[in-house]
Amino acid sequence: MVKLDRINLSNEGLTKFFSPIEAQIMTVLWENGECTTPDITERTGIPLSSVAGTLDRLVKAGYAKRTVDRSGQRVRYLYSASESMDSTANSITRKVLDSLVDTFGKVAIENFHTYNKK
Amino acid sequence: MAGLAGHWEMFSISNEIGCYVTCISDSGMLPWLLASLFMALLLFVSYLNAKTPGSRISSFIAAQLCMLASIGIAVSSMHCSRMLTIEIYTAYAGLSTLAALLLPRVYQRVLIGRHMARPIAEIMEWPQAFANKVGNNSNLNSSGTLDVYYYDSAIPRAFASGKAIFLSIGLIEIMDMDELKAILAHEVWHLRHRTGTPILRNLSMITFTRNCTGSELERLADTFAAKTVSRNAVESARAKLS
Ligand SMILES: [Zn+2]
Repeated sequence: MVKLDRINLSNEGLTKFFSPIEAQIMTVLWENGECTTPDITERTGIPLSSVAGTLDRLVKAGYAKRTVDRSGQRVRYLYSASESMDSTANSITRKVLDSLVDTFGKVAIENFHTYNKK
Repeated sequence: MAGLAGHWEMFSISNEIGCYVTCISDSGMLPWLLASLFMALLLFVSYLNAKTPGSRISSFIAAQLCMLASIGIAVSSMHCSRMLTIEIYTAYAGLSTLAALLLPRVYQRVLIGRHMARPIAEIMEWPQAFANKVGNNSNLNSSGTLDVYYYDSAIPRAFASGKAIFLSIGLIEIMDMDELKAILAHEVWHLRHRTGTPILRNLSMITFTRNCTGSELERLADTFAAKTVSRNAVESARAKLS
């Protein structure tokens, strides 16, 4: 979960930085705003038994947050993303750039100056 | 004269302890004695931190064996008075009985801290009242309060220890009222069921999950839950957890 030793550059999209289930859950939260647990299992198509532990981890790591909703008859969790997709992308980028500068110093910084996406 | 007698007794005990220390250090067993006392302490700590019922029971038994080994080492190196040996045995028997009675309560506090559990009354009104009602049911042979707690986790789980029942919010979310009642009744039965091996049973954490079906105690707890609520509620709760 965006730990530098877990980053896998050969994966596709968000799974470079998150596990596939984490990536699917975060995408649902970014696209839908507030979600209940059934919303998440329906939209990801992943059963609760696989989603529950990942939700706990995402909350603990601070990527998702949840409140306990008691407005209806039932007690339920309401999940949302802690930050927008853009600011999460921002902090991931910072982390990676920091580690590049840490390792390669001036060479890394020169590359940033001349960097132009093809 | 009473003062003098008291003084004489004190002198005798400190004398005996002195003799003990000399005997043990002369026999070269002191390092072994300290090592096995230290092991016992470590095992008691791991008992309190153990995550599975199996590791809890085995660390508790291992700790007891280490304590017995310590006493054995002390006695085997003795050449002086046997009185203190008997006193140490008595003290240990008393302390370990106390520990066996208190550890489940201590463990309950550990669980509350580990899961940052809160009284269920903060989010729902009926479960505590329901547990009280079922807990004082005349079919069960003991009474007293049972506390119901909830804790913050999406993973559906219910377990009981000491005099407390713990439900995760993930469990509360997916169960309807009858299913929750069935789970509570099941856990109450475990906590209240004092026949068999009460100490060992208290040591193992009781859970309501798919991997604890099958056993005789689980069937009895489910039968009680089915009688208290309904067979359907027990079965649908089990189905949701499998
Ligand atoms: Zn059970």
